[in-house]
Amino acid sequence: MPRISAIPGLPPLIAAAGLLALWELAARTFDISGLPPAHAALREVPAILGDPEALLNILASIRRMLIGFALALSFAIPVGLMMGRARLVAAFFNPLLMIIYPVPKAALMPIIMLWLGVGDASKTLVIFLGVSLPVIYHSYQGARAVEEKMLWSAAAMGMSARARLLRVVFPAALPEIMVGIRTGLVLALITMVTSEMIARKQGVGDILFNALAMAQYETVYATIVIIGLLGFAIDVGFECLRPRLVGWADPVHEIAVVGST
Amino acid sequence: MTAARRSGEIAIGILPIALVIALWHGIAMSGIAPAVLLPPPAAVFARLIEQAGNPQFLEHVGVTLFRLFAGFSIALVVGVTLGVAATGSKLIESLIKPLVRVLAPLPKVALYPAMVLILGFDDASKISLVVADAVFPILLATWQGTSAVDTKLVWSARAAGCSPRRALFTVVLMAALPSVLTGCRIGLIISCIVVFLAEMITSTDGLGYLLVRAGRNFETVDMFVPLISISILGLTLNAAFNALRRWMLRGFSEEG
Repeated sequence: MPRISAIPGLPPLIAAAGLLALWELAARTFDISGLPPAHAALREVPAILGDPEALLNILASIRRMLIGFALALSFAIPVGLMMGRARLVAAFFNPLLMIIYPVPKAALMPIIMLWLGVGDASKTLVIFLGVSLPVIYHSYQGARAVEEKMLWSAAAMGMSARARLLRVVFPAALPEIMVGIRTGLVLALITMVTSEMIARKQGVGDILFNALAMAQYETVYATIVIIGLLGFAIDVGFECLRPRLVGWADPVHEIAVVGST
Repeated sequence: MTAARRSGEIAIGILPIALVIALWHGIAMSGIAPAVLLPPPAAVFARLIEQAGNPQFLEHVGVTLFRLFAGFSIALVVGVTLGVAATGSKLIESLIKPLVRVLAPLPKVALYPAMVLILGFDDASKISLVVADAVFPILLATWQGTSAVDTKLVWSARAAGCSPRRALFTVVLMAALPSVLTGCRIGLIISCIVVFLAEMITSTDGLGYLLVRAGRNFETVDMFVPLISISILGLTLNAAFNALRRWMLRGFSEEG
């Protein structure tokens, strides 16, 4: 189907519609209370978004996510770039990162909650941790691959080490950093939802499990659809932003480390 | 890299870990943080060693490992098959591509309540979550790897009388092995993380449950033990996988 798939955005839409149709069909065939039909769940979406309390909850979640994400970027990119340019820094941080990598960041929630309480601080910290790792890793890889000749020329023209990092290494590593940022964005959303599922005080994850506990299955599925839309919107937004920032580079086909927390 | 330089770098690498533990010990000893909030590291490691010989604890580890490997194996089979099929057939590619575009950015954890509703609180829902999370890196890596394989290889195999389907699995998949294995390693670590989270969210047994249970009873020492266990588990799996990968790729010149 070359003509249909040539229209951008159409194939994913068809796929989404197909999934919904499959869901509706499965719900009608199996007819179990745990799987309400798609149309019933979709009807709940505007109801949740229209409810001021739920909407505030969702917006508070997104705010925490953005703060944690921004903090992580401002910390992780410099660390990653320095690791890529200085062997000593890399040798210092690498083993520590290796140990932290397989630990689910959202699993730190119960301990961090003991220290910082159940408020915004602990959730933001967990998101910060979740986003930092992939961004550090990709900034490190990007900075390591910068061509030495460019750095020599910059040094010959009298640039200081700090200026070289900011004006040569950073832009040259940007395409790779963007890969890390993309993974980080997905992780931020995942960590946000997971930490709220574990802490169960407020936010999207809490709505989800409250509805589950009260057997409002349509609301459960509607919330899942909302989270899914959020994830998709973030992904599409990023795809629109990338060509503006690193349009000069070939698109990096990197395996997206989607899903880890 | 010379041996001396390498061991020097290892020494530098141990430094921050030692620093973190020393800092942890210092804060716990100084009394700034009460032991209820931050137990001294010695107590945590002693407890970890004690638990390593405890059959009840090992049972929970076993449950976690079973779910991890069950989920990972399913994801491996599904991901590799679909990845190869997408390279082999235009029709399947046009089916899978938009599906991946829609499903990959979706936070799979959000689907977990639905899986609990449909499959129940037991193993099935947790394993499904592991599959949903681990399948995408494996699928994407296989797909990218196999579509980058030199077509000449397939032509020679076809000229030697190999059927197209057989060539796909014996030639294309083998040539793409480095990329496939990278995807598998990412999938394995993700499985490790996801299984723990699923056990924390609806806890009945497993390492994640131990953490939540300890948290409810304010047994801080016991909260650190599952966390350190999952880190050790992840590192061990990663190292084991790297060894396996080196052995499988011994014929390949360059290691990725």
